[in-house]
Amino acid sequence: MAENKNDISRRNLLRNGFFGTCLAGLGGLAGLLAGRLGKTRTLWQIDPNICIACGNCATRCVLEESAVKCTHDFEICGYCEICFGFFEPEPYDITEGAENQSCPTGAIKRKYIEDPYYEYTIDESLCIGCGKCVKGCMTFGNGALFLQVRHDRCLNCNECSIAAACPSGAFKRVPAERPYILKKVGHA
Amino acid sequence: MVRNEIDLWHGHPGRVFPNHRQDADATKAVPPGATTENVLVGLLVGVAIIICVVAVWRLDVTGESGSGLGKQFTYDIKDMAKIDPNLILYEESGRPISTGFAGSSAIVVGPEGSLYVAGDKAVHMFGETGNLVGKVQLTDKPRSLAVSQAGEIYIGMRNHVEVYERQGNQLATWDSLGEKAVLTSIAVSKNDVFVADAGNRIVLHYDTAGKLINRIGARDEDRNIPGFVIRSPYFDLAVARDGLLRVVNPGRHRIEAYTFDGDLEFYWGQFSRSVEGFCGCCNPVNFAILEDESFVTCEKGLIRVKIYDVEGVFAGVVAGPEQLIEGGAAAVCEFPAQGQAVGFDIAVDAKGRVFVLDTVKNLVRVYSRKKAG
Repeated sequence: MAENKNDISRRNLLRNGFFGTCLAGLGGLAGLLAGRLGKTRTLWQIDPNICIACGNCATRCVLEESAVKCTHDFEICGYCEICFGFFEPEPYDITEGAENQSCPTGAIKRKYIEDPYYEYTIDESLCIGCGKCVKGCMTFGNGALFLQVRHDRCLNCNECSIAAACPSGAFKRVPAERPYILKKVGHA
Repeated sequence: MVRNEIDLWHGHPGRVFPNHRQDADATKAVPPGATTENVLVGLLVGVAIIICVVAVWRLDVTGESGSGLGKQFTYDIKDMAKIDPNLILYEESGRPISTGFAGSSAIVVGPEGSLYVAGDKAVHMFGETGNLVGKVQLTDKPRSLAVSQAGEIYIGMRNHVEVYERQGNQLATWDSLGEKAVLTSIAVSKNDVFVADAGNRIVLHYDTAGKLINRIGARDEDRNIPGFVIRSPYFDLAVARDGLLRVVNPGRHRIEAYTFDGDLEFYWGQFSRSVEGFCGCCNPVNFAILEDESFVTCEKGLIRVKIYDVEGVFAGVVAGPEQLIEGGAAAVCEFPAQGQAVGFDIAVDAKGRVFVLDTVKNLVRVYSRKKAG
């Protein structure tokens, strides 16, 4: 009686299984290599055009002091005499007195340039990324103050706890070669 | 022959699978375990739906649930936004007019009483009842707008002026003022055209043919002119009935009066958190002059439309944040895109009505003075 080609014998099964495993292994290796070569390293970053400065960045980061800090784009800034990022919405006076300042940690520094222009800088060692100044600048000014993840601090967690809590979906992955998202000049 | 096979795979000996020889009655048979199973599946699906609904309901897209930070970390302007109702002299009349634009930029009332609104790449004309009566198609986004007594439409593009007739035919294109120029306002009098250039912080004085006559407002200590402080692209001007040019100096929170030769005559206005003054870093952003020569001003940030008399003394409010913004002050800066676009424009007509162009919702709200008593 002639042997049917479709019959599964132990020998055929082992031979086909061996070839199949080799083929799968080769495919996996090729896929892995292609993935490694084509993969771009990414980092977490905040899109300032979506961020609503809710304050979650200050409290949700796994670091004791958040990796998110306020950033100041001087090109957009109006160098305002009465900066609503620097001053409380209803300041007692237009002076640098602590009682007039909006930032609870005193992280914004104000310097006179010429009448009526003032320069504002962020002391990152004091900034906790609460976004209060961002809200003020966004409401009354040009939006020159905005939050960014500082990559010298960020642990680049696979599952970022701030991103998980971000209500506006402003946290996104960006290529490592372009780690910051700056606002466009003239957008204001 | 076995008529019903036991489903050994699922381990339900009571479950039957009719084969092709099975008669019709067998398919209707309901085994005893099937009802319980269906109830369980239904319950699971129900619980899953409830979980989904609760998850969507609890989704916080505006950060309302809070970050856990203290009150000192909250930016709150609710109290500032409150306006004494007795100060509000106007009320909204009729339904808002939809501009038909995705992005609107300027509004003006023509000499015949029509409403002209600039936006996207066009100018739309509206009749008395808010019906669209005409259109002028443009090749780029307009930023400012004026209509002469003869009906010629002067449109400020980003860095040059274009002139059209009401039917939409282009009459002239003036020379570009360069890459730095940002034209934010135009005013036309009998023989003169004034253009506010926020980018170069200067007012350009032309004749109606587009020939430059002089530049007004450059910093000049000898002429006691402090210069314009323009921190954002809002820089408005108008020619008043007294023959003087009025120009907003937003960074100094005031409106300045210039002769056509460029001499600074006087100014009024000051920074103040209260409703009497101009709040924010740079306000007012726009203004219009009523028939009785009083001023209607519009502020950004804390959006307020207010009336000042001819001397610049505060007279009352047309509308505040509660009237102009859904949710009052709280919604003013919810999203960055709104924060950049809240410089509303205003226009007035011969009847004393105030037209407010909402550049976020692309609507025109019409306000009329409340009747006495």
